[in-house]
Amino acid sequence: MARPQKSCAICESGVRVVDFKDERLLTRFLTERGKILPSRLSGTCARHQRQLSTAIKRARQVALLPYIKGFTG
Amino acid sequence: MARRYEAVYIFDSALEEPAVTEKLEKFHALIPQSGETAVEVTHWGKRTLAYPVSGKESGYYVVTKFEAAATMLPEFERALKLDEGLLRHLVVLDEGAQMAPTPSAKDGEEDE
Repeated sequence: MARPQKSCAICESGVRVVDFKDERLLTRFLTERGKILPSRLSGTCARHQRQLSTAIKRARQVALLPYIKGFTG
Repeated sequence: MARRYEAVYIFDSALEEPAVTEKLEKFHALIPQSGETAVEVTHWGKRTLAYPVSGKESGYYVVTKFEAAATMLPEFERALKLDEGLLRHLVVLDEGAQMAPTPSAKDGEEDE
């Protein structure tokens, strides 16, 4: 059975290309642990999901986002 | 062919702004800017890092945009790696990304 269509939050905000420096936007698409939220759950369209995943990975490289949240080791 | 790049630098937070500016000038001297396009520099200042980098909890962030020929980049990045005051850097193609509008600022904005 087809799941109900969710609308893409990034399309709605009017952003064409996701910026990896936009920490506030990116954190909305992370789980509690800091993993990338699947589009199945967030409803992001395919194009923006692809951009998001690269952007989040870049943001992690420049220490804007953690690789794992709440990890003390 | 020259392309537009975007670079993020994380300097040691012990460095002050003049020292950072001096280093940036030194780096960008390696890339000659053609004609009217100048290097666009944005200082974010000191920020807490999401995780410790080389034992440091905070860093001085600078974002720059510049035009360069792809052949110039290996030499440029080599210079960046050798610098000890620079904790980390990232050079990526500038694809004209934009920040999402803040919820409060959104009301006053028109589409496109």
